[in-house]
Amino acid sequence: MARTKPTVLKSSAAVPTVPPTDGAVGTTPGAVPATSTDKPATPAAAPAGPGIEPPASEPLTRPPAPSPRKDAPRTMRDLRLATEARRRASVPKGADNPLREGLRLERVPDPHIFVLFGATGDLAHRKVVPALYQLWRTHLLPHEFTLVCVGRRPYTDEAFRDELKASLSKFSRSQPIERETWDDMASRITYHRGDFNDPAAYSALADHLDAIDLVHGTRGNRLFYLATQPSAFPEIIAQLGRAGLDHEHHDGGWRRVVIEKPFGRDLESAIRLNREVGKVFRERQVYRIDHYLGKETVRNLLVFRFANGIFEPIWNRRHIDHVQITVAESIGIEGRGAFYEETGASRDFLQNHLLQLLSLVAMEPPATFEADALRDEKVKVIRAIAEMTPAQVRRDVVRGQYGPGWVSGKPVVGYRQEPHIDPESETETFIAARLMIDDWRWSGIPFYLRMGKRLPKRATEIAIQFKEVPHQLFRESASDPEPNLLAMRIQPDEGIMLRFGAKVPGLGVDVRNVTMDFTYGSAFQTDSPDAYETLILDALLGDASLFTRADEVEQAWSIVDPIIAAWAEEGSPDFPSYEAGTWGPAVADDLLAREGRRWRRI
Amino acid sequence: MAEDLNGTGRAAPGTILAVGTRPTGGRIEPVGPARPGEPQLRWQSRGTTIDEIEKELGRIWAQPQTVFSRGGERGGRQAAARTSVMNLVIVAGDKETGERSAETISRLTGRHPSRTLIVLLADPDGPPWLDGRVQAHCMLPRADAPESCTEMIFLTAGGETGRHLAALVTPLLVHDLPVTTWWPGEPPLSTEPAGELLDATDRLVVDASVWTSDGLGRLRQLADLYDLYPRISIRDFALVRQSRWREAIATLFDMPDFLPYLPFLRRVSVAYGTRDEVGAPGSTNVVKPLYHVAWLASRLGMTVVSPLTPVASKAGAPRPRPGEKPPLHRGLAAKLRDPRSSEVAVVIRPVASSAPAGTTQRVEILAERRGSELRADVTAEAENVHVNVWLDGVQALDRTFKAPRRNDIDLLAEALEGGGGDHVGMDTIRMAARLAGARASHAVHPG
Repeated sequence: MARTKPTVLKSSAAVPTVPPTDGAVGTTPGAVPATSTDKPATPAAAPAGPGIEPPASEPLTRPPAPSPRKDAPRTMRDLRLATEARRRASVPKGADNPLREGLRLERVPDPHIFVLFGATGDLAHRKVVPALYQLWRTHLLPHEFTLVCVGRRPYTDEAFRDELKASLSKFSRSQPIERETWDDMASRITYHRGDFNDPAAYSALADHLDAIDLVHGTRGNRLFYLATQPSAFPEIIAQLGRAGLDHEHHDGGWRRVVIEKPFGRDLESAIRLNREVGKVFRERQVYRIDHYLGKETVRNLLVFRFANGIFEPIWNRRHIDHVQITVAESIGIEGRGAFYEETGASRDFLQNHLLQLLSLVAMEPPATFEADALRDEKVKVIRAIAEMTPAQVRRDVVRGQYGPGWVSGKPVVGYRQEPHIDPESETETFIAARLMIDDWRWSGIPFYLRMGKRLPKRATEIAIQFKEVPHQLFRESASDPEPNLLAMRIQPDEGIMLRFGAKVPGLGVDVRNVTMDFTYGSAFQTDSPDAYETLILDALLGDASLFTRADEVEQAWSIVDPIIAAWAEEGSPDFPSYEAGTWGPAVADDLLAREGRRWRRI
Repeated sequence: MAEDLNGTGRAAPGTILAVGTRPTGGRIEPVGPARPGEPQLRWQSRGTTIDEIEKELGRIWAQPQTVFSRGGERGGRQAAARTSVMNLVIVAGDKETGERSAETISRLTGRHPSRTLIVLLADPDGPPWLDGRVQAHCMLPRADAPESCTEMIFLTAGGETGRHLAALVTPLLVHDLPVTTWWPGEPPLSTEPAGELLDATDRLVVDASVWTSDGLGRLRQLADLYDLYPRISIRDFALVRQSRWREAIATLFDMPDFLPYLPFLRRVSVAYGTRDEVGAPGSTNVVKPLYHVAWLASRLGMTVVSPLTPVASKAGAPRPRPGEKPPLHRGLAAKLRDPRSSEVAVVIRPVASSAPAGTTQRVEILAERRGSELRADVTAEAENVHVNVWLDGVQALDRTFKAPRRNDIDLLAEALEGGGGDHVGMDTIRMAARLAGARASHAVHPG
């Protein structure tokens, strides 16, 4: 390997109070252990190793300028690719670290700066910062971790830290907030004011980040987390590119961007956004977050399917009658009126969460548990769902909007009476769809998906309804034995339930349905991480398995777009169409009833 | 909970409200409403034979009052789930160890649902006798979730009974669930009673750092268990406790600039704390420092050329004058061979320290590759691990990892959480035994 001198890093920890070595290691006795200071050590400034003077001029961390050859790369992108190729070529092929095996984490996140755009917003305060606090608290972030919060409003570092602390007291899942832990983390938080459209703000940000690199030893690694309004994504990404903040360093400094959903509002805008992102970042640097994929039970779905030999043989059209996926929310729009008017249930849930769950249920086993192998299989499922014609949309898709009603014993207003909602709004708060996957495994098996707001309870479940036994032996039973059902509860009460028939004790042959219930909470009472903790840590480790790829996003839009287009042609729906606190419009029941089925009672 | 081990047959007056129909005890009325995360003692009874104890265990789950609790907003009843993911057997050689272990387990209640058997061996020369207490603890994971209950059985065995551990334990295990045996203190690994119990054990949890002398004799016995019980997995607190060091060292070689040096180690030196005046071999348990070397050697596919032997004092070194402190012993040295047939020197040496004896103070690694030298120096304190690296004498890295020391509760939790076989642990323990002089019988499996 042609060695490149790495940047010398210093951190602010105290010097260990152990006796110095007596020369047990090193060719020269009397090795001098490093002393830590608050300043970064540079090759020139660092204490030299055992008796060897550092060279007068050490190479800098930046790559040498390429010589102007005839076949030299011409664009910045080419330069980056060429530099990376050189770097990779210098490491022996297949050089994995053999010391990694068996350790708690596959890899400890590198030192980095977490740059949070939209830091003053709701998402940052409710989810992102509490997740970072939890990771910090449990020592899953590196010592050099630094958080730079970017927002438009004026704050001092101190004032913003106070605001974050107040939010943590409300939203962190670990209460009370540990003072010492928070103080330690807060010392690593700075606030950077800037307008998302202002190039000067990004130049200043770049300087600020470079300065942090020197002080905290964050090695040029940056994760940009966009927790802003979706409309700001293209501008922020373009500005990051203009300021050179996307450039990965030749010596390992990585740049990643995490983008929150919704990713586009239709296929065209998603393609456009992908193109804008692709101009600046390479796909492997982009992490499109769908927090459903970070939930413990969703991740368990893969384990359940592919680590248990008994399910896979029956996981197909021969044994399964149909699949139901329900995402029920008892809450309304919770003050997000403006956002919801733009999205509705189809864009907010069907395009991402519901289709992601469907693809995990229906996908073929991937060859490896690696990001692209997983995502290849998921996208194949979505590709196998036929786009709907307007007639199919009328037949197989139901939309609804809640009116006033009672939820959890309290009266609630209808959607059109919510703040910031058009009194004549046609935005759907409920959607149910019957989708068919045209492939070898699932041909002819309907997947029923439904999502609604202001339903009677909060529940997310996937139910696999198996076929009836071919011949009923127990007709004399007082109750008809029902076909087996396997339900995977995503939230709340995460777990798995299997329903089967059992004989009632007694002289006759009476069959009753009983359930065998596995509840995560009672079997493993260890603390499950929040979805954001899982996903943020994955992004910091560079594992994109649980993030959506550009082609997945576009493919999902190609299913949702024809539905929205067909609705646009239909004219005004008769909204509101269901009372808050009920299971959606009656026509949603018809969707199943016409095939002799019914929604599972949850 | 610890007081349960103290009695020999009678519950403290006023602590149990037995509602069951038998004089041995039964259901206990909760004092107040169940609170999420707080286990409640819901059942306590007693038996003096295994048959009686088995019957008591069956009785718990036949009592609807025990297994149903008030639940939900509607005030209906919810079935309490009996949850077991493992059998946990704790063998305590004396009352104090038993009490300490029970205390540790009580802090883990609910985290690792299990049927827990705490076996206390008492009065080995007296007549055979057995006293068993059966308890059920129930806990609400959340306010709106059904309760989950686990069982705890305290067995005190006297005389000949205590010498037949497997006969005591095996009938009381939940079928089909893995068996973890935690053996605090000094387990008599080579005895027949231990062998019978280990035959039924899937995972053995020990702490080699508390073993007497240098700990190496028992370490060799521990490694032998892999051959005697091929399905056994061993978790040694002494090894798990040092995972923060391994994390830091592994992270160092995650860096592309340092990784190429890894196959070219030339010397590994570990300094450990001793309170002995001269730190003579055998005076301090050296299992922990030895594990660092064994882990590196096994991961890198090395073999032992010569096992650890005391380093002779320097020729011509002056003798200490009367009243002068003698110099510390120079420790133990060994030689390894890497897959390229190059030799790697190993030194494990004492340093005077106020830390618990045998605690690792420093790990130093020297690698030479194509004329270039990497020297890494790893040290740790309560909350952090520090890594310094020099490349050809020029400092290339100074990094601090936040990694606090862990207590016995964390270690036990981690030992219980780790599922399946642990071949990294196995390779390390086998390599450590070989460095300690055991004969090589199995190759390690470098990653």
